[in-house]
Amino acid sequence: MGPAIIRTYGLWKEYEDEGHGGMALRGIDLEITKGQIIALFGKSGSGKTTLLNLIAGLDAPTKGRIEIDGEDLAVLGEGGRTLLRRKKLGFVFQFFNLLPTLTALENILLSLELAGASDRRPALEALALVGLSGKEGRFPHELSGGEQQRVAIARALVKSPPIILADEPTGNLDSVTGTQVLDLLVRRCREAGATLMMVSHALNTCEYADRVLRMSDGRIFEESSCEGLAP
Amino acid sequence: MRTLHDLSTPFFALVILTLLCTVSIPLGLSAQGWEMALAPRQWSFPRDHGSHGEYRTEWWYFTGNLTDNEGKRYGYQLTFFRYGLAAQAKIPANPWSVRDIHLAHFAITDASNGTFHFRDRASRKGPGLAGAGNDAMDVHVLNWSAVMKDGKIDLKAAHDGMELSLSLVPAKPLVLHGRQGLSRKGPEPGQASYYYSFTDLRTRGTLKTPDMKSPVAVRGISWFDQEFGSNQLSPGQEGWDWFALHLGDGRDLMVYYLRKKDGTIEKESSGTLAEPDGTSRHLTLSDMETTVLVHWKSTRTAGRYPAGWRIRIPTAGIDVTIRPLVADQELVNTVSTGITYWEGAVDGKGTSKGKAVTVEGYVELTGYAGTLGGVF
Amino acid sequence: MNGVIRSFLRYLVRRKSLSVLQLLGIAFGVAAAVGMTLASRSALQSLGSAVDFLRGGTTHTIARPAGPMEEGLLAKVMEDPAVKYFAPVIDRKVRLEGGEQVRMLGVDPFLDKDVRTLTARIASSARNNAKEEAFSSFLFDPGAVLVDENVARRLNLSPGSTFKTIQGPLRVVHVFPNPSGEPLLIIDIGHAQEFFRMRGYVDRADLVVTDEDAFRGRWATGFTIESNTQKAQTLSALLGAFRLNLQALSLFALFVGVFLIYNTAMFAVVSRRRDAGILLAMGASRGQVTAAFLVEVLLLGVAGGALGGVLGYLLSGFLVKIVGNTISTLYFFLKPSVLPWSFWNLAGGVFLGCAASIVGCLPSLLELRRVQPVEVLRGRIASRGASRRMKTIALSGLVCLAAALTLFGLSFLNVYIGFAGAFAFLLGASLFAGFVIILLVPVMKRLFSGAMGLAGKIAIGNIRENLGRTSVAVAAFMITLSMSIGLGSMIDSFRQSLVWWMNSQLRGELYISTKADVNVPEEFYEELKRLPGIGGIDVFRNVPITFRGKPASITSIDASVLQRYDRFGWLEGGDENWEPVKQGGAIVSESFSRRFNVKRGDRITIETARGPADLSIGAVFYDYASEHGVIMMDRSTYLKLFGDRTINSLGIFIDEGNPDRAKIIDQVKLRARSLGLPFATREEFHKRILDIFDSTFAVTRSMRVLAIIVAFFGIAGALMTLFVERQKEFGIYRALGFSTGDVARMTIAESLGLGLVSFLMSTVVGTVFAVILIKVINLQSFNWTIFYHFTARPYLVTALTTLTASLAACAYPLWSVIRKYPVMQIREE
Repeated sequence: MGPAIIRTYGLWKEYEDEGHGGMALRGIDLEITKGQIIALFGKSGSGKTTLLNLIAGLDAPTKGRIEIDGEDLAVLGEGGRTLLRRKKLGFVFQFFNLLPTLTALENILLSLELAGASDRRPALEALALVGLSGKEGRFPHELSGGEQQRVAIARALVKSPPIILADEPTGNLDSVTGTQVLDLLVRRCREAGATLMMVSHALNTCEYADRVLRMSDGRIFEESSCEGLAP
Repeated sequence: MRTLHDLSTPFFALVILTLLCTVSIPLGLSAQGWEMALAPRQWSFPRDHGSHGEYRTEWWYFTGNLTDNEGKRYGYQLTFFRYGLAAQAKIPANPWSVRDIHLAHFAITDASNGTFHFRDRASRKGPGLAGAGNDAMDVHVLNWSAVMKDGKIDLKAAHDGMELSLSLVPAKPLVLHGRQGLSRKGPEPGQASYYYSFTDLRTRGTLKTPDMKSPVAVRGISWFDQEFGSNQLSPGQEGWDWFALHLGDGRDLMVYYLRKKDGTIEKESSGTLAEPDGTSRHLTLSDMETTVLVHWKSTRTAGRYPAGWRIRIPTAGIDVTIRPLVADQELVNTVSTGITYWEGAVDGKGTSKGKAVTVEGYVELTGYAGTLGGVF
Repeated sequence: MNGVIRSFLRYLVRRKSLSVLQLLGIAFGVAAAVGMTLASRSALQSLGSAVDFLRGGTTHTIARPAGPMEEGLLAKVMEDPAVKYFAPVIDRKVRLEGGEQVRMLGVDPFLDKDVRTLTARIASSARNNAKEEAFSSFLFDPGAVLVDENVARRLNLSPGSTFKTIQGPLRVVHVFPNPSGEPLLIIDIGHAQEFFRMRGYVDRADLVVTDEDAFRGRWATGFTIESNTQKAQTLSALLGAFRLNLQALSLFALFVGVFLIYNTAMFAVVSRRRDAGILLAMGASRGQVTAAFLVEVLLLGVAGGALGGVLGYLLSGFLVKIVGNTISTLYFFLKPSVLPWSFWNLAGGVFLGCAASIVGCLPSLLELRRVQPVEVLRGRIASRGASRRMKTIALSGLVCLAAALTLFGLSFLNVYIGFAGAFAFLLGASLFAGFVIILLVPVMKRLFSGAMGLAGKIAIGNIRENLGRTSVAVAAFMITLSMSIGLGSMIDSFRQSLVWWMNSQLRGELYISTKADVNVPEEFYEELKRLPGIGGIDVFRNVPITFRGKPASITSIDASVLQRYDRFGWLEGGDENWEPVKQGGAIVSESFSRRFNVKRGDRITIETARGPADLSIGAVFYDYASEHGVIMMDRSTYLKLFGDRTINSLGIFIDEGNPDRAKIIDQVKLRARSLGLPFATREEFHKRILDIFDSTFAVTRSMRVLAIIVAFFGIAGALMTLFVERQKEFGIYRALGFSTGDVARMTIAESLGLGLVSFLMSTVVGTVFAVILIKVINLQSFNWTIFYHFTARPYLVTALTTLTASLAACAYPLWSVIRKYPVMQIREE
């Protein structure tokens, strides 16, 4: 096993909703090494998205500590976390991935800009990689849901971050495209030695994953395979 | 009127000027109700020291040579003009209704620093703003005045740093010029005025120039002219040279030359000689010989004025040479008459009846910077 | 350009119509402020240049405290050693046939040229085209005048032409250039005396004084000596209250503009939230996100401001005329001309636009800063807890209102405090908008579902759901409607008070010579007194004075006549207040009393022709003749103190029961006509006053219209945004089976619903605002009491405006709906 790139210690997180009481996460201890492909399963509301948000530094835990690449997120401060998201994290969300007023290419380019580079070529290559060459100039509302997702993936990949967090990356895609996209994503990560943490319902995700984690009622369990994991 | 176009003439000066110009007389006839100076006059004083409104033009002319306690020398001129614009005011009950225009010139020459100061003002009679009394000498234009009381004349003038307050007492009786006061100015009838002078007035008082902090006490001798008539000069005449001199032996000499445009002198030009005992004698052109010795050019108006004379009256034994105390004593009146002339204090010396005498007095030179023909 | 900024700015391009609406809204708000400021400034500048032009080189003026000066005094002034130059002046107005008033100066050319550059300058133009007879005409012919080039051009006059005035005919002798713009005639002073029937008098003497203190020492008693600075100050002070209110009006317009920006920024931020979430997650810093938003808002601010600057300049051309007319009618002659175009108009507009943008978008900016990407990423774009927030906001509204109340309490200190209070009130009221929506929604749901079925009910529901936006739109709209109601109510109340005042103070059958500068010869007055059947004649003279350094006026009347026939409105007591007036006391108007803190029973000192005199003040009366205040005394007292026998006008009273009333009036009219004196019956006189009143509020009316336009853009923008943002919902409606007609009705219902809430709120807020205007603003600015009168007109007008604006605002969204709805589908995210 390589060095741990993501580490959480006794992570607790309270529900933000008005309706729920209680905790979304109950004492999550996690250690993910560099280069691992993680598949995260769980029913809706089990806290998967919450966990991703915490790891990305977008939210703060009620209790506990998170370390990304050895740095304590709490200590980093807002500025530090912003930098983290720029350079070290690629995020593919469940909803609202793209900025509606930018073209597909510009969306990808923005990711690069924030990371400090501004060369168009990697962006075009990334687009080609996800099979959308020729659609650089399209705005999100001109693309299908699946295409939007693929642009989002290209955006995450283009800056070659050490960590990629993906929340239901194939959720809206048909099985063929979905498999293609997943394939692409995993291959890229492997090639780059990046850590990938995916939330997914698709069972075939397990095939690609090094580890399978299941979340239930705010707790995390290690699974050996996808069997018995209902979406 | 060449001069007038060179200067920026305020509108209202133009009014006066055009008024002066528009009224042209057919020669020999009285113009628009004005009396003409045709025959020798029956004088009656003190009434005739006052105003003669039936004649168009009139002036009371004071000039003098003064010295202060430190021996510094000054000359002054204070003149009150009355010019009739209409024989009757249109609305006699309203004092603003115009009949005469009253103008005044005030000049001081300071010989010790070579400066010359002058001011001029004008006003209609209005409600006590200007005027000339009919029964005695009581003439004023705004706050400048000349008033005769009990034979003494008080002069007062003050404006913008210049002040004058003098008392004048006649040392000789008055002198009628020409033929019993009828002074000819040209060959035609009507080209004449009534003219008399006090040639010798003992003067005391104070004066102040803008350069001084406060008035200085002065004393000296003054000359007073009063002249009235209606449009004497003809268009062929260009201007005149007038001399009023006090000789050291008590004689007073008045000489004037009317110059014509063609360069000759009007043969009606004349003079008067007053003796210390008060008697006087009329001088004709042939009695007077005047030579201009030197000229002075005004940078202001480009007028070329004579600036030194030798005057000889052989039949009176007078031979004097005079020069101005200050070269530039030119009055450029853009305000009241719109007419430029040179009037200055002069002095010199010579001989009178064989004796050496000093001379002081005043000289007036008109028409050297634009002709006055047809106006005065 | 930074991708973050670009992503925001693209919205401007994408939502073109919305951006244009926002731009126009800002532009009009800025235009109102800029236009008003320019108009006000040009009035001041005209005043300054007119004063300068006429003054020339004079340093002081000397006049009697009231009435004209005896010409005999001129010789004495002339002799004073401190006076270098002096020039008597007659300064009056002639009334041309068309009703226009033109200043005429009677001067003595010999004296005047030393004192006034104007007369000296006329020379240079005269020199070039002199006509000798023309100039001698000036001195000798009565009625010969010099005319300035503007008047000549306007009336098509040239040397030799004649024109008529109420006071008599005049003949043009010469046309002179006039850079100051103020129409001017010049006449010889002697002829002026005849023309104005004031033989033996001049109005004043303009002086060049070399030793002011010495001069004042000698002449202070019985005369008013004013230096040029004093004069300029007096004139400026006369305009004080007027200018203040102009400024306030423009600030109100700008306030609405700021609100508009707040409005649009709040809309923008709702959609920007989602993008902000994405950007933050992607690693953009909060600073970058807020900066991008700021750039977007500022861009609109700059563009709108620049446009507003240009529009404002054009508007000022229109306003300047109105302002000039109002000032001329109410105070003194002024014909301001439009200031030349200056780059500063643009710069100022941009500055205002940016400042307004920043102020307006500040709350939104703070909102944006607080965005939690987590929320966004969970898919919640609508702000939760809207109702709770509205209650909080309403609470802060309450605080604002409390602040407003305090400010009103303190407003007697300074009129600006009153204005601040009014602003605070409006702001506070606007914060209640969301709360009021929540309150009214249940009722409106019932109303609209009854009228428009399900579509209506859903529409109202939408208003409630999008409280974040709709509350802001309602607030902006409500403010303008309230202003409209408030101003309208105030003006109507004022008018009513004016009518009451006229019926109490101006009850004569006939009024002779009420127009300015046509005086009544005293012989005529005596003649009329002897006419059989005349009940009484009020002899009226009004003269401006300076009291304790501020402008005021003295009015001389016939106390016995007024006691018998008029019914003055007294603050205390009744018509017994006239008794002390008949004995030499005085009464003062309410404005005077407030301004100078002079009460019933006090004594005041005024400058008279014989030096300072003491007057005992017996009572205070309601009066709207002048906001500077009036001291009223019987003519006998006036003559004793001032010796000025001028009669400005006569009021003819005839006993009620007299059967020959009509005949007597006709007789008086006949005699007046034969003397060339203008007259007016009571009805005509009152009507004229009301006409003046109506015209003076022309400026206010323009501002109201402008404010409504600005608010209209706000509503339209709100509806546009709502429509644009909810495209997804339309897909769902369609899937559920709603027809285009249903959705169209929904759109209209939303607009009307917003309008209705705004209007209902504005009736309350507007009424309170009217009361504030009457009881605080008017009172503090003009020092008179206006009685509140309810009139339905402002409410009806505002209701109509609301309806029209609401329908107009939903026009474009409606058209979009009809066009796009048939093809809308549920789209994926």
